[in-house]
Amino acid sequence: MVVTAKHKDKDGKDVESKQERHYHPQATNCRDNKMKYGAQWKVANIRDTSIQPMKPKKETIEFDLPEGIRAADVTVDLFYELGNPDQKVPIHTVSQKVLLDR
Amino acid sequence: MKFLRLIFMLLFMAFPLIVSAEKAKTIDELAKMYDSSSCKECHEDIYMQWEKSHHARPLMGVKGGLMLTPLAMKGATAFSPDDPKKATAKNYPCFKCHLPQAITSAEDSVAVELTEALLTAADASKTDKEKADAKAQIAKLQIGCIVCHSDKAILHKRELGEPQKGVLYSSKAVAEHGDAMYKKVEKSIVMKDSLYCGQCHGLGPNLEFDQPFQCANLYGSYLHNYIASGGTKSCQDCHMQKGDHLIAPNWNDDKGSTELLKKALALDVETLGYDWLRKAKTYVSKVVVNTTITSTAGHRVPDG
Ligand code: HEC
Ligand code: HEC
Ligand code: HEC
Ligand code: HEC
Ligand code: HEC
Repeated sequence: MVVTAKHKDKDGKDVESKQERHYHPQATNCRDNKMKYGAQWKVANIRDTSIQPMKPKKETIEFDLPEGIRAADVTVDLFYELGNPDQKVPIHTVSQKVLLDR
Repeated sequence: MKFLRLIFMLLFMAFPLIVSAEKAKTIDELAKMYDSSSCKECHEDIYMQWEKSHHARPLMGVKGGLMLTPLAMKGATAFSPDDPKKATAKNYPCFKCHLPQAITSAEDSVAVELTEALLTAADASKTDKEKADAKAQIAKLQIGCIVCHSDKAILHKRELGEPQKGVLYSSKAVAEHGDAMYKKVEKSIVMKDSLYCGQCHGLGPNLEFDQPFQCANLYGSYLHNYIASGGTKSCQDCHMQKGDHLIAPNWNDDKGSTELLKKALALDVETLGYDWLRKAKTYVSKVVVNTTITSTAGHRVPDG
């Protein structure tokens, strides 16, 4: 999942801040602390951030805006990666405009 | 008593002979032994769903990628053979779930042929035709109708014995079955159960090998997260409605996968903009994004 906040900086230029969350089981070979891909290398999970059944996955993601900037366009992009980051399967894209002034 | 003992002796002596005589020596022989092309005539819909499924391409599941290639290459993994000519089933522990018939019904010569085909397909100096032919040979190795409806269909073998020759098993029995080779379908009630899929969908590390490793462990997730949270549905309930043998997702179908995942994973987004008072007179402009993802699956997503 990639959460992007787009806003202007003091000079009026577009700035993009991004934060990512990765949801998947993560395995090592249990002989070092390097995560592995590939069944022939993996031995056991050391961490599992995947999406579990009947257990909502909640995040709170914060962006600090530069002084004087009062609006941002937030986009949350949820997608599935098959073998590598080039093999993306899109799932949801949600965009919202966030205003700091009422 | 003597009489009985004599029969036992004969059986004992004859058994290994029959088994070894029956094992496939080549990929073609193994494919023929498990051939399910005869089923297409009468089970056309199921056959066509299965053809598009991952079970029909267990050695090249995603976008045609040959995932066993590293295991064929000398020194590339702990499992790789030093010499392709000396490859055996032990070099491919993946057979346990990706090609179980290679363990029960193939000579080591099949592992040799597979190793050579994998190396040819990955060899830049080979012609496109040579590479395509090697790949086509590997594609003949499938988890087909017979693997699922015979070999894997009985789990409680101490109580029920081994699957019989010429008999298929399903969640319903058919006394007179039209197939020339498989004239009978017997009931194996476990085919409706998640345990059946759990045979291959993994609990965690495969610890029975001389070098442990882990692939799918989704069945573990089903047992320890879904069942533990009060879930009651089986794999078949969710993945094989109306006998669907595509058993989606099919990761080669990008559009279809997007559709399924859209339904399976709901994303809720809430945002807030405000000025946070860090300390007296020091405001920080903040954008807060709260996300919640909920899943309708019966296990972790993704697995592996
Ligand atoms: C000549 C036609 C014919 C051929 C060939 C054939 N089947 Fe069938 N099969 C049937 C029919 C008809 C039924 C349904 C019988 C019933 O419901 O009473 C059936 C039922 C089945 C069932 C049980 C279904 C259930 O309800 O649980 C399975 C499993 C099955 N077939 C598998 C196969 C496989 C595997 C092959 C290939 C090796 C095959 N069949 C070849 C006609 C055929
Ligand atoms: C415990 C059973 C099991 C074993 C053993 C196993 N796999 Fe798998 N593998 C699966 C299942 C089931 C899937 C698909 C579902 C999933 O990933 O949750 C899969 C998926 C894969 C995939 C992703 C799909 C694809 O075709 O690209 C790769 C790659 C893979 N396995 C490689 C291997 C290799 C290499 C080995 C041997 C070192 C191996 N597996 C051993 C059960 C197993
Ligand atoms: C003989 C072992 C075996 C059995 C039994 C089996 N599977 Fe699989 N399954 C596999 C393997 C291996 C793959 C991955 C093949 C590949 O893509 O490389 C797979 C792939 C899948 C996939 C595709 C998704 C993915 O990530 O690859 C689904 C869904 C699936 N199986 C569900 C089931 C269900 C439900 C059952 C029980 C009705 C079942 N399987 C029984 C071995 C098995
Ligand atoms: C991955 C394992 C797997 C493979 C491969 C597989 N089946 Fe099945 N099949 C099942 C299971 C499990 C059921 C029972 C599902 C249930 O009762 O909920 C089933 C059910 C059936 C049924 C009954 C369907 C119904 O409407 O109730 C038929 C007929 C059948 N299979 C035929 C075939 C044929 C023909 C093939 C090959 C083209 C095939 N199967 C391949 C696992 C498999
Ligand atoms: C409550 C319904 C439900 C149950 C029970 C269930 N699944 Fe799934 N499964 C899903 C959904 C939803 C997905 C997401 C993709 C889709 O919609 O097909 C999924 C995805 C998968 C995948 C792909 C996982 C990945 O890596 O993204 C596999 C493999 C799979 N299931 C196998 C199984 C097996 C094997 C069982 C039984 C042990 C099972 N499922 C039980 C609903 C279920």
